[in-house]
Amino acid sequence: MSARAAAPGAGSAGHAPPAGYRRAGAALAAEWIKLRSLRSMLLTPLLGTVASIGVSASAVRHNATGYSHLDAVQKAQFDPLGTNFNFVVLGILLFGALGALVATNEYGSGLIRTTLAATPQRGLVLAAKAVLAGLAAFALAVVIVFTTFFTGQAILSGAHAPHVSLGDHYVLAHLLGNVYYMTAAGLIGLFTGVLVRSAAAAITSMFGLLLVLPVLADKITPDAVTRHTVPYLPLNLGDEMLHHHQGLSPGPAVAGLAAWVLVLAAAAALSLRGRDA
Amino acid sequence: MSAQAGTVPHRGIRLDSRLRATARSEWIKFRSVRSGPLALSATALTVVAGAWLLGDANRGSYLAASPAGQAAFDPVFTVLQAIELAQLFVGALGVLTVTGEYASGLIRGTFVATPQRAQVLAMRALVFAVVVWACCTAMSFAAFFLGQSALSPAKHAGIGDPGVLTAVSGAGLYLTLVGLLAMFIGVLVRHTPGALAALFGILIVLPVLFLSIIPGKITQNLGEYMPGQAGEQAFHQLHSGAYALGSWPGLGVLAAYVAVAAFAAFALILKRDA
Repeated sequence: MSARAAAPGAGSAGHAPPAGYRRAGAALAAEWIKLRSLRSMLLTPLLGTVASIGVSASAVRHNATGYSHLDAVQKAQFDPLGTNFNFVVLGILLFGALGALVATNEYGSGLIRTTLAATPQRGLVLAAKAVLAGLAAFALAVVIVFTTFFTGQAILSGAHAPHVSLGDHYVLAHLLGNVYYMTAAGLIGLFTGVLVRSAAAAITSMFGLLLVLPVLADKITPDAVTRHTVPYLPLNLGDEMLHHHQGLSPGPAVAGLAAWVLVLAAAAALSLRGRDA
Repeated sequence: MSAQAGTVPHRGIRLDSRLRATARSEWIKFRSVRSGPLALSATALTVVAGAWLLGDANRGSYLAASPAGQAAFDPVFTVLQAIELAQLFVGALGVLTVTGEYASGLIRGTFVATPQRAQVLAMRALVFAVVVWACCTAMSFAAFFLGQSALSPAKHAGIGDPGVLTAVSGAGLYLTLVGLLAMFIGVLVRHTPGALAALFGILIVLPVLFLSIIPGKITQNLGEYMPGQAGEQAFHQLHSGAYALGSWPGLGVLAAYVAVAAFAAFALILKRDA
């Protein structure tokens, strides 16, 4: 009985199935090599980081020098944090596109077939990708957000315009909200990339979903349908989380972004398991 | 001398039949990949369904608006605005028409078959422009009629009203020019993600950045000469405020950008290794 049961696996007797954590570790290691060894995955984030920090610094500089020319009402409305993070949507697009590329690069080169042959547990592959891309996005977002904040506020204080410091009310929460928003955009990009599998389609979807669609939808007068859909677009959820002025409050906005990530993750996992590579 | 005997029979091939052969091979490549029909149907869906949604959603807001707001209401632009989203699909198609071939390596086969590279690029642009123009013009008219019927009884336009025919056919031309711009950027960049990022950056992100970083009278006046901003004036019926350039001048400005990109693309495709 036992001999018969062992027979089919006899050739691999020495290779007892590896423990789960080992397999996970190997998958993570493989994904990490793929993530760090692509030149474009090093250069693009670097350039994007420099660009988004530079753009926001020059916008802040312009606003800071113009501050003394504002009238009393405008001075009262001056928002040092809002001025600083006017261009967060640039970062969002960068993260969305990079996340998409993490997935679609492999489909473009055909490497995905090797990956899935080496690790047939497709859910594990996706999880490892998501963990690493998420961590990388988080680290990059921390760098971008905090550098932007410190340069921006330094410029404002240099120009004797109102400025805030890290310990002030809501400031740290605002910065962490930005980091969360960027990380979520990266993961939305990653899972969209797994779903559509082509760089062109994924990047187009990112620009459409994250920027053009919400801007277009804003021009429509709210009716029964749009009032319950438009606020749930990622851009509006992010806005809501950071400015908390209308409708939703920060808590639901945080949950809403998480829901986008989780629903797309589930869809990506299903499609990766169900489809031929 | 006699070593070249093998090429003698080819001497007689006339330019027009060579152009026709290149155009035919470009047409085969265009229609046989999935991205063509996919991108064009996404464009059609966005423009036509968008026109209905925008018309329907703006009917109420028009009736509730102030007299000044009602006077400034542009029924043509209102229903054709979805083009701002649809241009992403046409742009992606334009980029892919070129970069797809670089990604698969087919470009080497193409250039072996037709070493006249300028001819390849010209015919590809021609085939692309004709197909995209025909589809986009048809969908602009469909979107216009559907959108106007959704707008009424609020202020709506007939096709015979002044400026309307120009605006609706201008919409098709705008999308075609965006597609061509995308195609030439694709030739310059040769990588799908890079070319897409460059295109969307120029069309969507640049105007916002430009106006916010260096504000002032000069940049505000220059703002309407950005490729996307200038071209979008094509499908406005009323030209006032930020959209004072007019339909044809706006399209002309966009066409000038396309011409510059085309010049660079032709220069580089002749010079570079494939």
